[in-house]
Amino acid sequence: MVQLIRSLGAYGMREILSVGRMGIFFLYTMRGMFVAPGKFWPVVKHIEFIGTKSIFVIGFTAAFSGMVLGLQGYYTLSKFASEGLLGSAVALTLIRELGPVLTALMVSGRAGSAITAEIGIMRIEEQIDALDCMAIDPYAYMITPRFIACLIALPLLTAFCDVVGIFGGYAIGVDLLGVSAGAFWDGVYSSVVWKDVYMGIIKSAVFSVLIIWICTYKGFYSGVDEGSFGPEQVSRATTDAVVISSISILVSDYIITSIML
Amino acid sequence: MPSADLIEVRGLKSFYRGRQVLFDVTFGIPSHQVTVIMGASGCGKTTLLRHLIGLKCTGQGQILVDGEDLGSFSEGLLKSYRRRIGVLFQGGALFNSMSLRENIAVPLKVHTKLADETIRIMTVMKLNMVGLSDFSEFMPSQLSGGMRKRAGLARALAMDPEILFVDEPSSGLDPITAAGLDRLLLDLRETLGMTVVVVTHELESAFKIADRIVMMDKGRVMALGAPDEVRRSTDERVLQFLNREADTHMINIDSYYESLLDKE
Repeated sequence: MVQLIRSLGAYGMREILSVGRMGIFFLYTMRGMFVAPGKFWPVVKHIEFIGTKSIFVIGFTAAFSGMVLGLQGYYTLSKFASEGLLGSAVALTLIRELGPVLTALMVSGRAGSAITAEIGIMRIEEQIDALDCMAIDPYAYMITPRFIACLIALPLLTAFCDVVGIFGGYAIGVDLLGVSAGAFWDGVYSSVVWKDVYMGIIKSAVFSVLIIWICTYKGFYSGVDEGSFGPEQVSRATTDAVVISSISILVSDYIITSIML
Repeated sequence: MPSADLIEVRGLKSFYRGRQVLFDVTFGIPSHQVTVIMGASGCGKTTLLRHLIGLKCTGQGQILVDGEDLGSFSEGLLKSYRRRIGVLFQGGALFNSMSLRENIAVPLKVHTKLADETIRIMTVMKLNMVGLSDFSEFMPSQLSGGMRKRAGLARALAMDPEILFVDEPSSGLDPITAAGLDRLLLDLRETLGMTVVVVTHELESAFKIADRIVMMDKGRVMALGAPDEVRRSTDERVLQFLNREADTHMINIDSYYESLLDKE
């Protein structure tokens, strides 16, 4: 019994310390925006990695999600003889919910995991220590450019996802199932208001902070708690990063939606 | 070359996960000389080095740099100290995503406002010092372990540091390359007056380059002084290390059985 209480206490302390460390990590990263070194080219490089290289997978996911929405929406709406509302249903679902969430989940799985692994390897190979010893702030040098890049890339990818998804829904609804093109686009124009677009942008901004914060943090501290640095710690950090960021995306999505609706 | 101690370690104790790894370590690192910290694997050499470069906090004891306690340095002071030092890590610690030239240019780009062409010339000069000028566009993964180590040394020298810390420079190198590296460290001391601290367990290299030797055993300083003084030591462990004799201590069978049954 005493052993159980001791273990629970130790676990609790470790988690509290971890939360504190994560907060400090975030503050150091934010501070990194105002100190040297120059970040323009590193940010461009990371935008290419997080954004450009994710376009194909996001486009593919968005197209098929939009097509499924078109299909499901048509059969549901046709029961009420409201097929003309298909454009509204597809656009609103994508812009308010699916676009930001799907994009964030895909970026977390593709780029987030790679970022955690890359930083984790830098940790176990003493490259982060080397930066410290060169009097170079590792947060400003490594983390802040990735933060800025993700903050820029994710909302743009989300917009791309929304557009591709709507066209996917259009292809199924209009071209395959015979909904009027005019009715489809009229539904999109009349139902989507700026508030929906803002909601999507705010969600993708929040998701981008969560993804990059969790993924860089997990890589930066991989193996530190265990006190041993090896491939196992990096693989565990990578798995943790993807799982925690995916859960955080879904939970924060609910919170933002409940606040903004 | 007589000189004052640039760094003084006083009564340093270090702990790792509740286990003590350094016990009241006290010695000095004279300026413009080569100090070699040597000892068997696991004796605490690298832990001591991590304290000296400010990567590990000094909980108990002191490390005085120019008379100031490293443990009480503010973030700014620690950065100033680190701009005075260069560190070669055991595995080189090169950035995998950059070529050798880019690796060496990192500190120059961050800390100086030199033109790109000047930085390029300086990186070639540093690579030339370690015999890697033909490999400037190679990625670290395309090099052997020894070449990575030499490239790491070139990066450590990029900012012409006042103090150079080198962790196991000769391990894994062929005798000719290792001798070349030893020669380079001596040249740095002689031509630039650099203070060099080398952590190694290579006897031949240590006695060849050292002005002062700190010999460690199980977290304690076992012998300290000029190479000749250490050679004349009558301490049993020092002699065992110098004569490369294996440990012959007998296992107490009772305590061995107890350790097998001990669940903690």
